[in-house]
Amino acid sequence: MKKVIVALMLSGFGIANAQEVENDSIKPISSISLDSLQQSINEHQLKFDALNEQLSPLQEQVDKMSKLKISGYMQVQFDMYNYQDVPTSTGLFQFKPGTSETSVPLSTNTVDVNNSFVIRRARVKFTYQPIEGVTFVLQPNFTFSAVTLKDAYVQLNDTWINTFQLWVGQFNRPDYEVEFSSRDRILLERSRMSGILYPQERDLGAKVEANFITQYEIPLKIQIAAFNGNFGEGPIANQVADVDSEKDFVARATYSLKFPNTGLGIDFGGSAFYGKNTVFAAGTYSDTDNKPFQAAVGDKLRKQWFGGELQLYYDILGGIALKSEFNTGIISGTAGSAIINNNPSFNFSGERDFIGYYVTLEKNFGTKFQGGIRYDSFDPNKKLSGNDVTVANDLRVQTWGFAFHYFFTTNTKIGLGYTMPINETSTAIGGIYNDDIRNNTATLRFQVNF
Amino acid sequence: MNTTKFKIAVLLIAVMTIGFSFTTINKVTVKGSDTMVILSQKWAEVYMKKNPGASIQVTGGGSGVGLAALINGSTDIANSSRPIKASEIEKLKARYNSMGVEIPCAKDGLSVYLNKANPVTSLTLKQIGQIFAGKITNWNEVGGPDAPIKLYGRESSSGTFGFFKDNVVRTDFSPSCQTLPGTAAIVNAVKKDKFSIGYGGAAYAEGVKDCAVKKDDKSPGILPTAATIKNHTYPISRYLYMYLKSKPTGEAKAFIDWILSSEGQTLIAEVGYYPLK
Repeated sequence: MKKVIVALMLSGFGIANAQEVENDSIKPISSISLDSLQQSINEHQLKFDALNEQLSPLQEQVDKMSKLKISGYMQVQFDMYNYQDVPTSTGLFQFKPGTSETSVPLSTNTVDVNNSFVIRRARVKFTYQPIEGVTFVLQPNFTFSAVTLKDAYVQLNDTWINTFQLWVGQFNRPDYEVEFSSRDRILLERSRMSGILYPQERDLGAKVEANFITQYEIPLKIQIAAFNGNFGEGPIANQVADVDSEKDFVARATYSLKFPNTGLGIDFGGSAFYGKNTVFAAGTYSDTDNKPFQAAVGDKLRKQWFGGELQLYYDILGGIALKSEFNTGIISGTAGSAIINNNPSFNFSGERDFIGYYVTLEKNFGTKFQGGIRYDSFDPNKKLSGNDVTVANDLRVQTWGFAFHYFFTTNTKIGLGYTMPINETSTAIGGIYNDDIRNNTATLRFQVNF
Repeated sequence: MNTTKFKIAVLLIAVMTIGFSFTTINKVTVKGSDTMVILSQKWAEVYMKKNPGASIQVTGGGSGVGLAALINGSTDIANSSRPIKASEIEKLKARYNSMGVEIPCAKDGLSVYLNKANPVTSLTLKQIGQIFAGKITNWNEVGGPDAPIKLYGRESSSGTFGFFKDNVVRTDFSPSCQTLPGTAAIVNAVKKDKFSIGYGGAAYAEGVKDCAVKKDDKSPGILPTAATIKNHTYPISRYLYMYLKSKPTGEAKAFIDWILSSEGQTLIAEVGYYPLK
């Protein structure tokens, strides 16, 4: 009985409370007039118009900003390398840490250095596309003491048949390994051959690129370019413009085959390079037959080669690739770091008949790991070998490279690399060249992209 | 060269190659085409009901966004309403050493929407391209009344935009083409604007009329119907694709195999698209 009384009292309390709600803000529909509805709509319309006015200039700003894309990457690393002095006829020189260069005066570093933290690359790329088909690219590289310009070019796309592109400015020379971004590279550094043939990778010039895939579905790409030909050579002040009016010409064609059912893709191609180096320092030079000759200021030296390339991709257990390039021909230069047209990686006065190639095997392991092995060979003077070589710079160098990467996040990776250059030996040179020089390098690299 | 170090390095790489090569996917993420998102969600929903242990996460964002996610490793499957571009394949090669795997999973037709009051009923592919490129600006140039043409299209990250640009417009869109954030918005705009024209999935054309499309001047005008899209006689028909970085394994393979089975293909028509066969 008590329960029944309590239940009745509670329900009565609920009813009493419900009846207290007299001024309900929701009016019955019949009490809303069409005029008040119209007035409310008008008020909201005014608010929307005011918001639109505020948003329109903002939208304009956003549209402008969306034409500018900013990306970049930074590579910082810890290098450990063997150290060995290189006695030369002009005094003691030493290896430049982390490279195979032997022309660094000992006075720059009089004690052994076998490890170092290095900022390898710190780049920001600005891409501005004011309208469809026109792109401006600017990419500075930040180093400890200076900012250097890597890319600065205008790219125009043909809007008629969507096949041709014109590039003008400073950009990569046409070559597979050179154009392959260092942010995606598995082996931490380019092959010795690419480093010598294409110093600093870029040059100033113009390029026409025809890609027949979009319009005609033919996987053929042709590149034809003309460059000043002195970028990355000699003092940097000489690289802002051409020093001799001679141009380097490059032509490259690649074709892609796809076999989707087997997961196989084969890209292959050929290239040709034709240029000249002007002599700016008269003296005794040597030709491709190793014979000395007198060169006068203004004389021309040949710089011309041809090559082939192959990249093979196979979808097996996460993806595997075999990549190879070879080049052979004549390279030339003038020794001496202060001289125009001195290629720091090809420290000769004269012409040389060279041959170079590399073979790289790259493998992905799931989505987080990838690794690679590369064998590369560069013989700067294929007419001499072994004990017939009398100058260290004429020795062939074969390099084994290993690398393994872990993708810490989608835009961060940690790489471990090991490089083992093996130089040809010659008792005619003697000294440390009676054996393989100790110049192996181990690198632990951290990279972030944005 | 130190031969001991060389041997250790080779051995280490061989061990890691074998060890990591058998990594498989457990949870499957699908990202990309907004055109495909409803279809893909339907597939995922039904598949997960049938396979309670499976986890399929579907999001949109546009074909370009999905393919970018595939390249940077943040999705397992990228949905795309256009074929992958050569530049995107290059990125896959660089990141995964493979060309990617393309799986056509459904068919779709792109309708050209006209207002019902517009007397124009058919156009050639070339005329449509020239209209959206801004070269034909008045309906009287294609047999209609003397009235300026109002253009509606999709944003550039959309695969529908890319497909229409590559296969119909073949050049830049006219700057006067108004960009709208979805096919439904385009249909609404054309419904309200007598002298407008838009494009989008054939399944969306409600309250507007489909333009009959001629391959050239001599060809008959074809309307986008189930039959003409399935047998590819309608000139603006396309495949809808799924892309993976390499051959599917584990749960992803089971999900894709089911999509391509008769059961998965049956669901396509319910969403408004067309099965492969």
